[in-house]
Amino acid sequence: MKIAVYICVLIFGDLMLLTACRKPYIPPAITVNSNYLVVEGLINTGQDSTIIKLSRTVMISSTIGIKAELNASVIVESDANASYPLTETGNGTYSAPALNLSASNKYRLKIVTSDNKTYRSDFVPVKNSPPIDSVYYLVKSNGVQINVDSHDQSNNTRYYRWDFNDTWIIHSAFESYAEVSHFPKDTILYRPDADQIYTCWINGTSNTINLGSTATLSQDVTTNNEISFISSTSEKLGSRYSILVKQYAITKDAFDYWQLLKNNTEQLGSIFDPLPSTTTGNIHCITNPSEPVIGYISAGSYSQKRIFIDNYNLPAWRPITPNAGCKMDSVYLSNAITKNNDVAAYIYSGSQIPILALYVIKDNHGVIVGYTGSIPSCVDCTLRGTNKQPTFWINR
Amino acid sequence: MFFLKLASAQDGNKKIISVNFQQAKIEQFVSELESKTGYHFYYNPTQFDSLKVTVQATEKPLETVLNMAFTNTDFHYTITQQQVFLTKGRRVIPELASGLFNTQPADAAKQTNIVADYTDEKEKKAVEATTENKLYEIGIKTNNIKSGTANLAGYVRNVKSGEGLIGASIYNPDTKIGIATDQFGYYSLTLPRGRQTLIIKGLGMRDTKRKIVLYSDGKLNIEMQEQVTSLKEVQISAEKVANVRSVEMGVNKLDIKSIKQIPTAFGEADVLRVVLTLPGVQSVGEATTGFNVRGGSADQNLILLNDATIYNPSHFFGFFSAFNPDIVKNIELYKSTIPEKYGGRLSSVLDVTDREGNKKIFTGSAGIGLLTSRLNVEGPIIKDKTSFIFGARTSYSDWLLQLLPEAYKHSSASFYDINFDISHQIDDKNNIYITTYISNDKFRLNSDTAYGYSNKNGNIKWKHNFSNKLYSVFTVGIDDYQYSIASTANPVDAYKVNFSVKQTNFKADFNYYLNTKNTLNFGLSSIYYTLNPGDDEPNGSKSLVAPDAVPVEQALESALYLGDKYDVTPDLSISAGIRYSLYNYLGPQTVDHYAPNLPKEPVNVVDSITYKKNQVINTYHGPEIRLSARYNLNEDLSIKAAYNTLRQYIHLLSNTTAISPTDTYKLSDPNIKPQFGQQVSLGIYKNAKANTIETSVEVYYKKIDDYLDYKSGATLLLNQHIEQAVINTQGKAYGVEFLIRKTAGKLNGWASYTYSRTFLKQDDPNAGELINSGNFYPANYDKPHDFNFTGNYRFSHRFSVSLDMTYSTGRPITLPIAKYEYDGSERVYYSDRNAYRIPDYFRTDFSMNIEGNHRVHQLTHNSWTIGVYNLTGRANAYSTFFTEQGGAINGYKLSIFARPIPFVNYNIRF
Repeated sequence: MKIAVYICVLIFGDLMLLTACRKPYIPPAITVNSNYLVVEGLINTGQDSTIIKLSRTVMISSTIGIKAELNASVIVESDANASYPLTETGNGTYSAPALNLSASNKYRLKIVTSDNKTYRSDFVPVKNSPPIDSVYYLVKSNGVQINVDSHDQSNNTRYYRWDFNDTWIIHSAFESYAEVSHFPKDTILYRPDADQIYTCWINGTSNTINLGSTATLSQDVTTNNEISFISSTSEKLGSRYSILVKQYAITKDAFDYWQLLKNNTEQLGSIFDPLPSTTTGNIHCITNPSEPVIGYISAGSYSQKRIFIDNYNLPAWRPITPNAGCKMDSVYLSNAITKNNDVAAYIYSGSQIPILALYVIKDNHGVIVGYTGSIPSCVDCTLRGTNKQPTFWINR
Repeated sequence: MFFLKLASAQDGNKKIISVNFQQAKIEQFVSELESKTGYHFYYNPTQFDSLKVTVQATEKPLETVLNMAFTNTDFHYTITQQQVFLTKGRRVIPELASGLFNTQPADAAKQTNIVADYTDEKEKKAVEATTENKLYEIGIKTNNIKSGTANLAGYVRNVKSGEGLIGASIYNPDTKIGIATDQFGYYSLTLPRGRQTLIIKGLGMRDTKRKIVLYSDGKLNIEMQEQVTSLKEVQISAEKVANVRSVEMGVNKLDIKSIKQIPTAFGEADVLRVVLTLPGVQSVGEATTGFNVRGGSADQNLILLNDATIYNPSHFFGFFSAFNPDIVKNIELYKSTIPEKYGGRLSSVLDVTDREGNKKIFTGSAGIGLLTSRLNVEGPIIKDKTSFIFGARTSYSDWLLQLLPEAYKHSSASFYDINFDISHQIDDKNNIYITTYISNDKFRLNSDTAYGYSNKNGNIKWKHNFSNKLYSVFTVGIDDYQYSIASTANPVDAYKVNFSVKQTNFKADFNYYLNTKNTLNFGLSSIYYTLNPGDDEPNGSKSLVAPDAVPVEQALESALYLGDKYDVTPDLSISAGIRYSLYNYLGPQTVDHYAPNLPKEPVNVVDSITYKKNQVINTYHGPEIRLSARYNLNEDLSIKAAYNTLRQYIHLLSNTTAISPTDTYKLSDPNIKPQFGQQVSLGIYKNAKANTIETSVEVYYKKIDDYLDYKSGATLLLNQHIEQAVINTQGKAYGVEFLIRKTAGKLNGWASYTYSRTFLKQDDPNAGELINSGNFYPANYDKPHDFNFTGNYRFSHRFSVSLDMTYSTGRPITLPIAKYEYDGSERVYYSDRNAYRIPDYFRTDFSMNIEGNHRVHQLTHNSWTIGVYNLTGRANAYSTFFTEQGGAINGYKLSIFARPIPFVNYNIRF
């Protein structure tokens, strides 16, 4: 792309004309809101709840990330004519508690949307995931690679898919021991432990599709599957990191779908990028067969495994954090020059958070003359994560 | 000087002829009458310049025809024995003027005075007349000429430069036996023994004839005069009849003079730009010289410069073609009938031939343009035996870049190319030709990433005549194409990626003129490929880039061929050939083998085998058939049919639709099958107005097997397992091409319209993914409607204007039509592959050629070319792309020449 822009400039020589040669291109096809239904989830036949997410595609020029599909009716149907309705839990999510379905039947999803269109997936067999053998990490020169190993003694799984939820601790630049209380009047108190804003947890999810296949192997054993790579400079590795890997057993058909989706959508943009092509899943619109539906529904149960990674077990890497430019200020109750109450102006107003009290010794007593403080983004980690320790979290 | 024998016998005047002239020019008028009567006509062409003859006569004496032509005009004719004098204003009196020969007997020398008044070019005319009237005795003279046939062979050369003329026709009007000269200007003709006249016509040359008495096998070299002015009648008679009478179909020949008339973006004649105006030839975008022939991809064209393969035929992002217009003599594009001596590509052969250096005198030329300059020098090393030609071009565009805003100031772009050829005549039977070519392109964007590529080609040809009827050409050569991409922006990750393809060629071609009816071609060729698919290395001592290299590939492609051009009757000719090609993929190499009936994915590798050096890893082979036939329905109407099969063992890997500097090639291997193409075509050819208007309609249907398309999300550069990124597709293409071409007159040029479609299909579920549900989908270069007009109008010998118009349907693209969130990421939903099209393409160019005066004897000749590219300023889309900005994905269209571009070019010839 760069090349073409460059040629433009080369030929016309000034930016006025450059903009003339790069023009918005809005073919009719992309200005029509196609509004296709997107179905994501797993018919969980095991002990976990079944969660199906429904959304709609949006125009590519839209800045909305996700457009939830509300007020639909979602039903799991079996080939033995049983049906299990899901209930809407808000924001396009539909769920049912553990269904405990028989693995000898096939299941499909039926969706009736609020505009009275019916969608149905193909019947899919139940594939239960074997347990994960191990999730482990390898220290590389430029980061940490997280791998998963698995096997199926019965040689039935063959196609694997993994995703994960990860959680890591972040720290703000300065640990605040003081907090502002506005009631009954503006004052600064000692910060209790429950209000600590120095240590927070951030949750993430996988955003790449991880697949494995043992189709060509004599044994259903898959090892060294890289599911994530964390750069040595990532803040994730700054303290303690945890990853919960979920493993799904999928059919060959599903594998092909995910493979194509992966190839297709994990890159976008320039003329040197690969040719994309359309991805069709196993869900169809019954009311209007020509309407594309996006997504692939599988049935089965997943297995999962969690590991922790501590910073002290890693090389002395220096994480890049948003704290890099943080500075601590001294804020006085009476400014030495202006005599103004800077604490009121900066700290009570919320533009800075107090960190520690500043004392002077007067008549053998410490008297507070002000506070050190810094802007909220340098002190308050809850702006980026939660200061409540997750229930699964095990401290070292 | 004319040596005339005057006689009073008038019986010749009674020669009965039938003619039909419509607005014929004097040259056509005369040449047709000459061939019909056997008389020779004398006239001054400049006097008859404005004459247009319209005469229709059936079975009338010559005299009547001439009367009909010249009644009520200021033109006169005089017929003497076997000779006709055409004059303006005055009449030649064939009788001797009284009192003229008081002191001398009437001798021929004196008689010339009468005619001499009417011609400006006494000297030239005389030479020609002398040779034309001379009777050449060929072979061992005997009292009685034996019956049967004998062979005549030799070269047809340009009298001025000594250079061989390609495609000149030598023709006996009585027996209708004729032949065209080959690439060296050589001909071999089997004729009945005895006295006869040969008519010789050549592209850009003045028609001539030779009177011979053929006793036994012998040689005759023929020298031809150039047409006097370059602007006058570019397409000459050799071409005229060739269109209808040659067996080949789907062949376009153009000489450099017609190439130079076409306006180009920067005023410099461009070989490939002209190719794009021909029917059935399309391009995917503006700044690209990659072209698509009859629904083939850009890599399915074999581009030859003096038999050397040129992998990247463009400079400077495609704004200039790699061929120096001052060196090129002519080009031939084979779209349908591909001669059996060529192979290895599916769609076409573009054969670019350089001129031979002038064997008589030193000459040269130079051209100056806004971005480039060029120089050409040629001359004899040993007079009449050895000559050289040297051409060089260079760009100096960096001054332009300095005018750019700061952000672009650190960019640079430059190229140069050099041609140097030597031809040497060892003796009558042996000739040596050495041709070399080097090109180099460099560009750097904002001092970030530097791109560079170069072609290097060299070959030596030895032509040996075993006898009049059999000659051979042995060629050895090396072709080398390479590019590199280097980045030094960040010393830590500075890298350099290199790619190269080298081929070492050997060829032996034989030509055997078996008899009057059969001409045989046979030979063998072998190409050894060394292909470096790419290596990535650290650039600089601080770089931490880990070296990565895709192993070098080797292969040997060999072929044997035999072809016969058989004239069954004067009206029916058949050309039949077979080429057997054999391809070996050679070690050292490690090849992955995949489980059968499973997609070629990393998970399906069952085995990986390492092969030793020169070990044959696998072999592909098969016959290729080349068949064509022509039947003349009448003098200027013929039909032709052809069937061709071809195999291609080297594949271009490009996920851009144009040829870009980062494309790589891949040799066929156990996982990547060769491409196989078949084509049937049928054509009707009709010439009108004394062969000055040529029309043709050709239809074709093509089937392509195992054309490579790409899986979704394929990465091609530095891919260790390229077979995992590609899929084999089946292709079909069909179309109809209309061409009308006016080859003579003040207005000349051509218009072509092509309707063509190209589809690909991937319906093998085992290949990994079905594209568009396994249905046929349009190829990237499928552009159904394509119209071209190229016209040149000559106001005078010194001033002409050219207009060029192009319209085509926009090429197909795959659009992102929606986005959604899935599995933790935002993803884009694409339309079916190539389901949409970019806007249609339309462009008009205009140029004026102003020549200096035409006096022959002056130190330098100069000319100016001034014009405007994209006259209407239409913003044609060069490319479209989508980019994410603040969560929204926006589409953009880039137009490179979004407004009229004026240009000026100065040329000087010395």
